Amino acid sequence: MKIYFELNGKPQYVEVEAGESLLSLLRRLGMKSVKEGCGTGECGTCTVLLEGKPVRSCLTFAPKVQGKRVTTLEGLGTLEDPHPLQRAFVEAGAVQCGFCTPGMILTAYALLQENPDPTPHEVREYLVGNLCRCTGYVKIVDAVLLAAQWKREGQWR
Amino acid sequence: MRLRGVRRYHWARDVDEALSLLSAYQGKGAFLAGGVDLARSPRTDLEGLIDLTGAGLSYIREDGKGLHLGATATLAEILSSAQAQEYAGGILRETLRLVAYPALRNMATLGGAVVSAHPWADIPTLLVALDAEVLYRNAEGEKRMSLAELYRTDFRRIFRESVLLEVLLPPLPGAFAFEKIGRNAGDIALLNACAGLALEDGRIAWARLSVGARPERGERLPWLEEALVGERPSEALWRKVEEEVRARIEVGSDRRASEAWRREVAGVLVRRALARAAGKAGT
Ligand SMILES: Cc1cc2nc3c(=O)[nH]c(=O)nc-3n(C[C@H](O)[C@H](O)[C@H](O)COP(=O)(O)OP(=O)(O)OC[C@H]3O[C@@H](n4cnc5c(N)ncnc54)[C@H](O)[C@@H]3O)c2cc1C
Ligand code: FES
Ligand code: FES
Repeated sequence: MKIYFELNGKPQYVEVEAGESLLSLLRRLGMKSVKEGCGTGECGTCTVLLEGKPVRSCLTFAPKVQGKRVTTLEGLGTLEDPHPLQRAFVEAGAVQCGFCTPGMILTAYALLQENPDPTPHEVREYLVGNLCRCTGYVKIVDAVLLAAQWKREGQWR
Repeated sequence: MRLRGVRRYHWARDVDEALSLLSAYQGKGAFLAGGVDLARSPRTDLEGLIDLTGAGLSYIREDGKGLHLGATATLAEILSSAQAQEYAGGILRETLRLVAYPALRNMATLGGAVVSAHPWADIPTLLVALDAEVLYRNAEGEKRMSLAELYRTDFRRIFRESVLLEVLLPPLPGAFAFEKIGRNAGDIALLNACAGLALEDGRIAWARLSVGARPERGERLPWLEEALVGERPSEALWRKVEEEVRARIEVGSDRRASEAWRREVAGVLVRRALARAAGKAGT
């Protein structure tokens, strides 16, 4: 079946299988920031934004995005022009292997849209479903708080 | 994830259309709402998926009968609804914040949680404590039933040919508290408990208690509810209840926790839930 949706601001009209996951569709479309860690909703590496809200692309049937807006990390920033959240992750040293990073950043992005001034506890609570096997989380929370500060200072919206 | 063999995906515009689509598949079709549960299903026999989220069942409204939660309202929608926040002192918010994580709650629906009815889940434990009623429709018509009663029937068969329409939460006199224990904040429960109390002249006038993930699905403890009525809330009473729960509760072992562990911890969870509910009810 064919579906129409918007991916990182660009219209897409693509063939999908009715039982296919959004994760599989996005990777077919070259969005390699979207990663399959577990495929069962446990790890968060496949997180994308659907209409601005985080969802698990591994648990989302592809046809569900018909007519909707999908954002992956590719839509947030680029190597040449990284998003402030990406800069904050680098500055705070919140990236080691990097496998969890796209999901962390997209989830953090949604948090800061809802709540631009979170406490460290609120950051942890919002990121509870995103696992990181490397960093121990401390620097990830630091990075989100740093990006939040930049947001409140008006460096980004 | 990929459900192999599925050829068509339908968006039902209303409940009747959903039912007729399902019957046309003769057992090889399935409803889905958020789809987060179905996505993990090992089924290979399905040919058609019927999405219910556009069928007009995402409402949240209150009337004289109580709080009506449409089956396809997402957990996130319930969390952010003012009516749901006010219900029974905010117990929906307190509990749903413990369910998985924000990205799951944006997709997962209440109806999906009621029908999937995982024995380890928190939502059934909460809903049976709240005396929830369900309303469903199939070819024969609509039926209303208490959720506790539904779970005693062959409900999985019922929902192979019925659409769950809504969950109704009746107005309740008491204040509630929910306790969940897992291996970490994002884990599913190793055990969960919900307590509700109403006080009159310093004594317990009404009590509700349920314990789930035993590993069996959440059920009420009527013997304890009855025994509590007439008692005065106190630390000593909660200690006594803790001992009694430990002695009497039916719990078992699975690969996540042993019977001995669950027996020990069930007493503690019930004590904590009762003490917090009593605090909210105003001791
Ligand atoms: C990673 C993960 C973590 C979780 N953690 C928790 C937790 O901590 N606590 C907790 O309580 N629960 C937890 N859950 C369970 C979760 O609440 C349910 O899986 C979710 O609510 C299902 O909703 P859904 O709309 O996605 O269901 P779907 O996948 O759409 O449907 C599930 C089943 O119900 C049927 N169905 C759905 N809606 C209807 C309807 N209206 N009428 C008839 N049949 C219907 C479908 O056919 C399917 O069989 C977790 C689930 C996952 C995947
Ligand atoms: S791959 Fe989706 S949550 Fe792990
Ligand atoms: S940096 Fe390696 S998993 Fe998080």
